[in-house]
Order: sequence, then C-alpha cells, then structure tokens
Amino acid sequence: MNSTVVTYLAQSNEYSAVVAWLTKLIGFNANSLVAFMVFAVASLVVVGALATIGGLGTYAERKISADLQMRQGPNRVGPYGILQFLADGVKMILKEDIIPANADKFTFILAPFLCMVGVFATLAVVPFSSGFMLADLNVGIFYLVGMASLVGVGVFLGGYSSNSKWSMLGGMRGASQIISYEIPATITIVSIVLLAGGLSIKTLINGQGGLPQQWYLFHNPFAFIGFFVYFIAALAETNRAPFDLPEAESELVSGYHTEYSGMRFGLFALAEYIEVFVVSGVAVALFLGGYKVPFDLGTGAIFVEKLGLDAMIAKNIGQVLELGSFFTKTFALYYVVIWVRWTLPRLRVDQLMTLCWKYLTPIAIFNLLGCAVWMYAFDGKSIYSIIFESAAVVAGHH
Amino acid sequence: MFTNTLFLLSAVLTLGGAAAVVYTKNLMHSCVYLLASLFGVAGLYACIGADFLAATQLVVYAGGVVILMLFAVMLTGGSGNNINRYGLEKITAMGNTKTFFMAGLTAVVTSLVILKILASVFKSHSATVLTANEATVDKLGTLLATDHILAFEISSVLLLGALVGAAVISRPRKEKHD
Amino acid sequence: MISLGSYLAISFALFISGIIVMIARKNIIAMLLGIELILNASALNFVAYTKFSNNNLDGHIMSLFIIVIAAAEAAVGLGIVIRFFQLRESIHIDDAATLQN
Repeated sequence: MNSTVVTYLAQSNEYSAVVAWLTKLIGFNANSLVAFMVFAVASLVVVGALATIGGLGTYAERKISADLQMRQGPNRVGPYGILQFLADGVKMILKEDIIPANADKFTFILAPFLCMVGVFATLAVVPFSSGFMLADLNVGIFYLVGMASLVGVGVFLGGYSSNSKWSMLGGMRGASQIISYEIPATITIVSIVLLAGGLSIKTLINGQGGLPQQWYLFHNPFAFIGFFVYFIAALAETNRAPFDLPEAESELVSGYHTEYSGMRFGLFALAEYIEVFVVSGVAVALFLGGYKVPFDLGTGAIFVEKLGLDAMIAKNIGQVLELGSFFTKTFALYYVVIWVRWTLPRLRVDQLMTLCWKYLTPIAIFNLLGCAVWMYAFDGKSIYSIIFESAAVVAGHH
Repeated sequence: MFTNTLFLLSAVLTLGGAAAVVYTKNLMHSCVYLLASLFGVAGLYACIGADFLAATQLVVYAGGVVILMLFAVMLTGGSGNNINRYGLEKITAMGNTKTFFMAGLTAVVTSLVILKILASVFKSHSATVLTANEATVDKLGTLLATDHILAFEISSVLLLGALVGAAVISRPRKEKHD
Repeated sequence: MISLGSYLAISFALFISGIIVMIARKNIIAMLLGIELILNASALNFVAYTKFSNNNLDGHIMSLFIIVIAAAEAAVGLGIVIRFFQLRESIHIDDAATLQN
C-alpha cells in the first residue's frame, strides 16, 4: 500500500507499538490491518472535512455576495449565521424526493452519484500537507484529470434523464463546456509537468519553494500566463460564473438540476462546491507552491535544532504549518472564485466557445512550447535565479 | 490482499458492465454500462502495474469517448426511438433445427481446439512469479521518444486527421440553391 | 488470483461480449459500443502479456496506440453516424445499403 498518511504515521514509535500490541492480541501480523484502518480513518476525515467545507462554501458564498451588495446575508442561525448550512442540509433531507413521471429512472438516480464520485475520487490525491495526503500516485495529476471528467457524464445524464427541455439544454451546455475547457486546462497542466519532470503531485510541489519567487507562477512568463489560463478553464469546468451557462437561471430556470429536489439536488450543489475547492487546491499545488512553508519550516528540522524538541513533535508542528499554508492559499483562491461570480456578467454560449477554442487553447499550446523552449534555453532555471545569479556575477567582477 | 480485492472488484465491474451492454435495450443505459466496463478495465490495468495506462484509460474514455457516445445518442433521437429491430431473443428465429445443430457442433469442436491451445498457454506461465510493480511513466516516455518515435508521430497525424475529418463530416451542409 | 489465465479469461469474455453486441445489434451506435469493447479486450491482452511474459513495456506502448486509435475511431465514426442521421433520419445499419442518394 502506497499511502502517504500511513507512511508518515509509521515513523512514530506509537505506531509500531500499536502494531505489536495488535499482533499479540489477534495472533497474526497486524501490519497491513493497522495500515488499512489508519487509511480508512484518514479517508473518512478527508471526506467529512471536505463535506463541511462544501457546506461552509454555500455560507461563504451568501455572506460574501451580501457583502459585495451591501446586504447582511444569513445572520439568524448560530453566531453570524454560520450554522445556516446545517439548517439548509436538514431542510434538504426532509424535503420530498420527487422523480418526474417520465424521467429515465436509472440515469436520474445515477447522475448525482456520478458527480459525487467524480469529485470525491479526486480528493485522494489532493495534497493537504507532505504527510497528510491520502495517496501519492505517480500519475497523480493525470488521475485527477481523469476522475474529474466523470462530473461531465453526471451533468449530461442529469440533464438528459429529467425529460425536461430546460434540463436537456443545461445538460448539453454543461457537458460540451466541460469537455471543451478540459483541453486548455490539461495542456496547461502538462506545461507545468514539463517544468517539474513528473506527474506525481509531490514531484510537482517539491520543484517549488515556500517563497513566492520559488513558485512556478513566477518561474517564467509562460507559466505566469498559464496560471490565468488554468484558472479561467477551471472556473468553466466547475460551471461557476461567469461560465454558469448550464444553470443560467434567467434562461434555463436552473439548468440540469431543474427537476431534482431534496437531497439529490443537494448532492449536485455539494459536488460543485467541493469541486471548486479541489480545483483551487490543484491551482495552489501547481502554481503557488502547494503546502510549502517559507524557510523549510515544514520539515520541522529547525525546531529540533533551535528549540530542542522531540523529532516527532517537531515534524507534527511542521505538518500543521504546511496544512495552514495550503488552506490559506486555497481559501484565498476560493474567495476569488466567489468574488468573480458576483462581479462579472454571464457570457453567451458563442462567446464561451470562442473564448475556449480561439483564445485559451492556442494560448495554452503556445505556453507549452514556451515552457519547453525555456527549459532547454535556460537549463530549467527560474527567472528570479537567472537575474539573481547574473547580478552576483556582475558584482563579482567589480 | 488489497490488490486481490481491487482485482476482484475490477473484474466484476468489467464483466458485469460488458454483460449489461449486451443485454440492455436502452442505448443510453448501455453507454453508462460501457463506462462501468471501461472503468473496470482501468482497475485491471492498475492491478498489474500499468499505472499510466490506467490513467489514460480514465481520461480518454470517461472524459472523451463516453460523452461523445452520449451526445451521439441524444442527437440521433434519444434512447426512445432506438430499440433494436433484432434483439438477442430473435436469434431463435434466424435458423431452423439443422442450422442450430451444425452451429452447435462447430462451436464444440472450435472450443475444444481453443481450450487445447489455451491450456498450454496457462501451463507455460502458471509458474511465473509476480514481479513488483514499478513506475512506468518515465520508461514509457523514453520508449515513445526513442524506439517508437515513428509510430508516435504517425499517431499524432492520425489524430489530427480524425479531428479535421470528424469536423468536416458532421458539419451541416448548406442546401444548394440552383 | 492475479495470473495470466484470469486476465486472458476476462479479456476473452470482453471480446465475446463485443462480438455479440456487433452481431445482435442493428443500431450503428450500439455497434460502435461493441467495437470499443473489442479494442479494450485486445489492449488488456497486450498489457497482461507484458506483465506476465516479459517486462519490456512494449505491450504498454501497443495498448496506448490502441487507445489512441479507439478515440480517433469513435470521433470519426460518431461524426459519420450524425451525418447519416441528418440524411436518412435513421441510424439503422440496414438503411446504409446504398452508395449514392
């Protein structure tokens, strides 16, 4: 089993003690059993935490939009209305679950689950910190792209099976938008893979450092443009405004989930908010240094050296710092996504396709070529290190 | 142990999906079952260490081919109109007792021959020890850019041709005014 | 449990399913589904032989090209199907019996 959480926890003494104790108790080697249980618990923690983040996303959306429009927003349930998402969840569970009479029942029931499975399966490779990451696959980013494309199937089937014209149009728009914008997003990811030299998410992050000039965002001009290409494409892939044509309420009632009610609708909404978190996390991992903390504080070695802490405790402190770093950047991007939604007007369908095929895809291909030429011409050095080194050389001549 | 579980699940998904594709009348449903079957095949790839291929399978089929198929089903009138004229249950109407007897005899003889060949295959490889799975991405990249560079280039030309061809074929043509 | 035999059996079953779909269905899109199953069965065979016979990865390359060809085939095939439907209002294979008009 190739799980980062298990590998990280196995470094501590308590882990081997527990394994030894269980082995004595049940009579055979408990190593893989303990590994499996640790992995299961970690998965449950990730799924639970992300479901909460998705729920809080709806709250954040309302609160931020209220702020931008000089309103109050939800403020009755709990302090500052923060428990509003729980109230919404209870409402959704208690609502009647309606399946339209002429709907295709099998696909109608399957569609929200396909969306959920696609989004939650990507969580396996989201890098929360160097130790807390469910699996470090060596095709990590590629796996993420593949699993995320299941959401397109879910959206399409949801729209098709509802047997309603609004849903049908919404589903068609959603699927065509998702598969179109996958192309610039994937090409941009490939250009970053070129810089890092590996598909594993850890390799991608380890090529960067904690400080902004070590990020791939400022590695070269092409990667800088690539970040914006990826961010726009990711917005479109998650059906967020200004690309929320599949659920454009002024034209299509509510798009592909018009006919859904109760918890099935809730699953679609939850999948959307978690997907926004995942694509923000991927943007952070690819361009903004991921979980890296400045001055190598994340490894914890400096705490052992300066403060004389126990090695494992120092490592745990480092992990917490890394988690903080990752979540801060991701939530900043999450804020930008919501901000964009309440600021920009919606595009038309032809403008959407023009933006993808005439602008973003050529720019992404140009970026890919540019990154390849940069790697060849400057031996993989970032623009900061080139300037810094040439300045050092000039200073050395004086 | 984990690999065995994964293998079993993937095999069930693959075979179940394939059987459902055969038996389902509704074209939309059979596309969904095809997706399940292809996911199972990706799992089978992952079981024997073909990690890059498994991910490629996910990207190409889930993101591309199946959505394309669903679109095609919808654009050609949806699943309602497309019930097959000749389903599996019509097979009995395709011949008489003599033809079925001959077909059965041929099937028995052919399967005996095939099983004879397959038995030797199984026997010769039954003693193979499973080697540890290792990362294939860099090796595949090296192979594609050195030994198989010609095939790689040709496949890129093929894809470009398919792209242009599909766009040209399915574009609605203007009616000729004469 | 994971052996060449089980892989060959699975790939055989996939192949047979594909053949049955192609024979028993008269709908062009359903036949394309069958072709996908057959292509997957062959790709699975290549990967299985790479793992259990010799570890030189040429089978993986072959499977990659099969996937490429499957994608190209699906794109062009479905384009033809949609064009055919515009002309004939049908996607029944027996309606595609004439070369002209």
